[in-house]
Amino acid sequence: MAYLEIKNVSKHFGGLKAVDQVDLSIEQGQIFGLIGPNGAGKSTLFNCVAGVYPPTYGNVIFKGDDITGMKPWDICKQRIARTFQVVKPFTSKTVLYNVMVGAYIRSTSPAEVKDMALEVLERLKLADKKDILAKNLTIADRKRLELARALATNPEMLLLDECMAGLRPREVDEIIDIIRSIRDGGVTIFVIEHIMRAIMALSDRISVINFGAKIAEGTPEEVSKDPNVIKAYLGENYVAA
Amino acid sequence: MTRENLDKLLKIILIVGVFTLPVWMRSPTYLQILILLFFYAYLTTAWNLVGGFAGVLPLGHSAYVGIGAYTSTVLFMAFGLSPWIGMFVGGIVSAIVGTIIGIPTLKLRGAYFALATMAFGEGVRVLVENTDKIGPLLVNGPRGICIPLHNSFAQFQFMSKVPYYYIILIMLCIVLFVTWYISKIRIGYYLAGGGEEPEAAQALGVNVAKYKVIAMALSCFLTGLAGTFYAQLMLYFYPKQILGLDFSFEIAFIALIGGRGTIAGPVIGALLLRPVSDFSRIYLSDIAPGLHLVIYGLILILVMLYMPRGLVDPLSRGYNWVLDKFSGKTEVEGVKA
Amino acid sequence: MRERSHAPGPTIQNPCEVIMDVIIQSIINGTLTGSIYGLAALGLTLIFGVIKVINFAHGSLLMVGMYAAYWLVTLTGVNPYVALIVVVPLLFFFGYFMQAIVIKPILVQQADVREPSEVIIVTSGVWYILDNLTLMVFGAEYRVVNTTVSGTSFSLGDLIISAPKFYGFVITIITAVALVWFLKYTKLGKAIRAASLDRVAASLMGINQYRVYNIAFGIGTAIAGIVGCVLIPFYYVFPTVGVIFDVKCFIIVVLGGLGSIPGALIGGVIVGLIESIGAQFMASTWTELIVYVVFLAVLFVRPAGLFGEKRDW
Repeated sequence: MAYLEIKNVSKHFGGLKAVDQVDLSIEQGQIFGLIGPNGAGKSTLFNCVAGVYPPTYGNVIFKGDDITGMKPWDICKQRIARTFQVVKPFTSKTVLYNVMVGAYIRSTSPAEVKDMALEVLERLKLADKKDILAKNLTIADRKRLELARALATNPEMLLLDECMAGLRPREVDEIIDIIRSIRDGGVTIFVIEHIMRAIMALSDRISVINFGAKIAEGTPEEVSKDPNVIKAYLGENYVAA
Repeated sequence: MTRENLDKLLKIILIVGVFTLPVWMRSPTYLQILILLFFYAYLTTAWNLVGGFAGVLPLGHSAYVGIGAYTSTVLFMAFGLSPWIGMFVGGIVSAIVGTIIGIPTLKLRGAYFALATMAFGEGVRVLVENTDKIGPLLVNGPRGICIPLHNSFAQFQFMSKVPYYYIILIMLCIVLFVTWYISKIRIGYYLAGGGEEPEAAQALGVNVAKYKVIAMALSCFLTGLAGTFYAQLMLYFYPKQILGLDFSFEIAFIALIGGRGTIAGPVIGALLLRPVSDFSRIYLSDIAPGLHLVIYGLILILVMLYMPRGLVDPLSRGYNWVLDKFSGKTEVEGVKA
Repeated sequence: MRERSHAPGPTIQNPCEVIMDVIIQSIINGTLTGSIYGLAALGLTLIFGVIKVINFAHGSLLMVGMYAAYWLVTLTGVNPYVALIVVVPLLFFFGYFMQAIVIKPILVQQADVREPSEVIIVTSGVWYILDNLTLMVFGAEYRVVNTTVSGTSFSLGDLIISAPKFYGFVITIITAVALVWFLKYTKLGKAIRAASLDRVAASLMGINQYRVYNIAFGIGTAIAGIVGCVLIPFYYVFPTVGVIFDVKCFIIVVLGGLGSIPGALIGGVIVGLIESIGAQFMASTWTELIVYVVFLAVLFVRPAGLFGEKRDW
């Protein structure tokens, strides 16, 4: 049994099949990538796993427990954390405060929580900015804060939704290193990303989604050569003869 | 002297001054004004638990003042229950009602929540105005209730204003402490996060709706206590006044002008706005009835446009300036004078 | 049908028929009055639908419209429906400038917030100012104006239809149809609808969204002005009349669905019917309570209202 099992999950919005019978298996300690053209249904699938809304059909099984349809806060208590594509920092609060909100799921003591938060900030190299208000951060730092906040909950599994969008190449490299170190720390990572070189470099396995359905899966190498994938991204003409 | 010491000294002077005031200010009229001022500061601070920390706009909080006042008074008149006990019963009833209303309404967004609380507040008022008796309990409809004079501690009545002064002052200190304490522990963080970015907070393990309801219950409990205080102070109250929309709005707006979400904000709002309201009502209502509300309205608009975080911002900057100016700035980075 | 100023003489009737007549009469009354409430709510729902703000001063603006119509009619003796010519543009500009001066800065400050709550506070400030200035200047007395249509009615068999309410009903329908036509077929109307969907996106399409908001607010307020003129033949004029309509309009708009034009009209009729049919069986303060209970019930069960868009609350 895989660590996270997405079994025949579909999500319908009225007549629109945003996610159509998707099966995915993620093993513990993997970095599993999810790619696909815009509007393919990747974030919708994430939201089904993260509890934002329940799938219309299908099940999500984590470590053998059925977590289908659980509320987001309960999913977090199951040790699954997530970040958002459009970052949502608590803008009127400091960086430290933001991360402490995440850490409070592990302890109720303000002193302990503060230490946990500082430790996460150190790991993500944000410690020197701990007293800056979130609204005054650059976009790169906001993305890092989003990551730090999720990590502060000490998850076993991390769902990353396009955490590199809008970053410069050097910033992307930094995040890649950080994600690798998170995985080395024992966290399984499920990542949606558009920046090809990042996801190809990071992922152990990649799944490709288009129009809500899975069209390919395999190692980064296998997937980049798959004609269905090339067709979906670039169109018929680019499929190698 | 150092800045820190000056800051501490000023605060000590303030606290000592406030606590010893009745010793040198004997006028019952001015004491009454101060008592009502603290009363409003208390109410706005309690309101702030929902309106500031939880990030929504409750516009029907007068209902809980009224529930507190009516509960303790009605129990006193029918069964002779001491208002001291009745106060806590009233608080609990307010908390229960607040929770029942809170569970469905706190799921609603911004404007809908505001409208729902308004409608509920008005609903309570209309209900009370139409009720004469509930069994042995005399409610008296729109005429309100007049508490007979007893003048004994056991019945929570005093001849002089001074005991009332200290009671509300202590209540205010307690409510400020509760607010401060909450902001430092987990529930405070969860409320702040949930109020600002509910989706993000949920993903971090916060059941936002649950915490908002907890804040609501606490706020309503504290507000109910003040209702009894008011009843015992004035010995008369009636629905249009104690359950009125104007009262609800006044509480909300004072907190907003002072600075919602901060601890000092609501108190500062009350300290600045109540005198404006009182004096314009005393001196101007013959010439221009309602002028104090026009002034309120203007202040409201100006503060929202130019100081949306409330008066706490410029005032604390002013206070810091005073500290800097008079302490001679003997603190240099890393070196102590 | 002809206009009369006294009721038909008594005839001996079967008690069932009497009750039926009473009920039908109150249904008619409720529908007519309710449609006028709906018109009042229409202005509010338009403003919410486009700008996504709740205007707490809407009732006060309606009150201003009533006073404007009152003074116009009292000083010049003109027919209240003719007064529309003056009152409507007057209120349009009132609304236009209120949005531009008081609300726009907040929308700019809070550009990424869909429904900034500061607007509620600021419009409440306007409400306080308008209501109390009116109190100061005109005094608290309840005023009544005697117009050519006050107190007149038609008869339809045994039923009496109040003329001013009927005219109000007609004006409501005309205004609603005109508004729908305007929004659907004119360039400005389409711009308003575009701006209502997304502030920033519309501006990228070359629509000055703040100017559009000013106009939408102006239209919403002008509609309140229409209601003011329509009301004075049969409603008292006093400084706090706005509060009653404010609360009623909020209730109607939630019932019908924020942003829905048919919702506002139908919601208004529902409230009108509750009031008039309820009045046959209980005191008006109890019907008030029923309206609140219905409001709260709708809010909890279906916050989007009867015709509103289902949203993730």
